[in-house]
Amino acid sequence: MLKPKLISQVLQQATTGGVKATILLNLEGSLLAFAAQSDRDARIYGALTSNIWSIYSKHVKTETGPLSFLMLECEEGKVAVSMVSTMILCLVAQEDVELGILKAKSEALTRHLEAPLSRVTGY
Amino acid sequence: MKKILLMGKSGSGKTSMRSIIFSNYIARDTRRLGATIDVEHSHVRLLGNLRLNLWDCGGQETFMENYFVSQRDHIFKNVEVLIYVFDVESRDIEKDMHYYQSCLEAIMTNSKDAKIFCLIHKMDLVQEDQRDRIYNERVLELQTRSLPLQVTTFRTSIWDETLYKAWSSIVYSLIPNVQLLESHLDNFCKICEADEIVLFERMTFLVIAHSTRIDNGDVHRFEKISNIIKQFKLSCSRTQGSFQSMEVRHANFAGFIDYLTNNTYVMVIMSDPTIQSAATQMNIAVARKHFEKLEGAQFAK
Ligand SMILES: Nc1nc2c(ncn2[C@@H]2O[C@H](COP(=O)(O)OP(=O)(O)O)[C@@H](O)[C@H]2O)c(=O)[nH]1
Ligand SMILES: [Mg+2]
Repeated sequence: MLKPKLISQVLQQATTGGVKATILLNLEGSLLAFAAQSDRDARIYGALTSNIWSIYSKHVKTETGPLSFLMLECEEGKVAVSMVSTMILCLVAQEDVELGILKAKSEALTRHLEAPLSRVTGY
Repeated sequence: MKKILLMGKSGSGKTSMRSIIFSNYIARDTRRLGATIDVEHSHVRLLGNLRLNLWDCGGQETFMENYFVSQRDHIFKNVEVLIYVFDVESRDIEKDMHYYQSCLEAIMTNSKDAKIFCLIHKMDLVQEDQRDRIYNERVLELQTRSLPLQVTTFRTSIWDETLYKAWSSIVYSLIPNVQLLESHLDNFCKICEADEIVLFERMTFLVIAHSTRIDNGDVHRFEKISNIIKQFKLSCSRTQGSFQSMEVRHANFAGFIDYLTNNTYVMVIMSDPTIQSAATQMNIAVARKHFEKLEGAQFAK
C-alpha cells in the first residue's frame, strides 16, 4: 500500500535548489502525492504533464519501446518526467536550473522510489 | 446453516424488521404486511457463506401454545440465536413476560448455548423524554426474569437507525473468527493513515467490523450510515442503477465508500487534507485483493 505522508516527505526533500515542484501521478493523471508551493500549482503541472506524457508515449511505443524519460525546456522553466513503477514522477524547476542537474536529480529520485513503489500493489 | 428464532407477540414488528434488514423493504412498506401465520422460514446468505435460517414465528396465542407443547423440539432445537421482540406499547406486559419465560425454558433444555437478544421495539411511539426511563425499567425487569441466562438488550424502531445497531450486533455475534478480520482492518487503517475504516455487509449494509484511530465522537455514526446508505442504495436500484461507490469531501474530512469484496463494502474516513483522493483509492484497490483472499480463507470450511 501507499503510505501517503511518507511519500510526500521524500518528494519534499527533492524540492530544493531551484526545483519548484515534485509530483507523483497515476497513469490517469490524478495526483497521488506532491510537494509544491500550492495545491493549484500541483494540479496544473500534473494535468499538463500527464497529458504530454500520454501523447508522447502513444507515438514512441510503436518504434523504440515504451517511453521512459522526458525533458522539456519551457519559457519559464524546465521539466523532467519519468516512469516509476506504474506511476509518473514529475519535477518542475526554475529556468536557471541546468538540464543535467535536473536529470540527475530525477534519476536519483526514480531509483530511490522504484523498489518501494513497485511493492505498493502488495499489501 | 445457523438457525435463528424470531419470537414475540403478534404485531410486535418481527416481520417488519426482517423485511427491512434482509428484503430491502422501506419502513413505510411494512404497514402492508399481513399477519404471519405459524412459522415463516427464510434463508439469508451473508458474507458469501454465512447461511442463516430465520424462523419468523407468528405470535398469535394459538401458535404460541403449540410451540411450547406439540412443536417444542422442532422449534427450539439447534437454535444459535433467539431474538425476542417486545412491543413497548403492549398493554399486557405480564402475558408477554409469561411467553418469554416459557420460551427461555424451552431454549434452556433444547439449545442451552443459544445467544439471546431482546429488542424493546417501536420506541418511536414513546415520548422522547420518557424513552430512557421506560427502556431502563424494561431492561432491569428482563434481566431479572431471564436469570440464570444472560441476555443482550436493544431499543429499536423501524423508523430510525436503532434497528441497524441491534441487527449489526446480532450478525456480528454469528461471524466466525471476526477478530481476524478486525486485525487486518486495523492494519489497513494504519498503513493508509485513515481516521477510521468500517466494513459493511454488502446486501444488508450492516456493520460487521471497524477500525478506529481517530474517533469523531458520534457513537451512533455506524448505524446512521448503514441506514442512510442502504436507503440510497435502494433508491439507486429503483432507477435501474446499482450503487458502486461514492466520495464525500468536506472542509474537515473526506469519506470514501466503495465495494471491497463480493460481499462487503468499505468506508474509509480521512481527515488529513494533504492526502490525495487517488492515493486512498489506490490503497482501497490494493486492499480489495487482500480482503478477497482473506474472505475466501475465512469461509472455506
Ligand atoms: N410505530 C412503529 N410501528 C412499527 C414498528 N415496527 C413495526 N411496526 C408496525 O407494526 C405492525 C405489525 O408489524 P409486523 O411486522 O407484521 O408484526 P409481527 O406480527 O411481529 O410480524 C405493522 O403495521 C408495522 O408497520 C416500529 O418500530 N414502530
Ligand atoms: Mg409477522
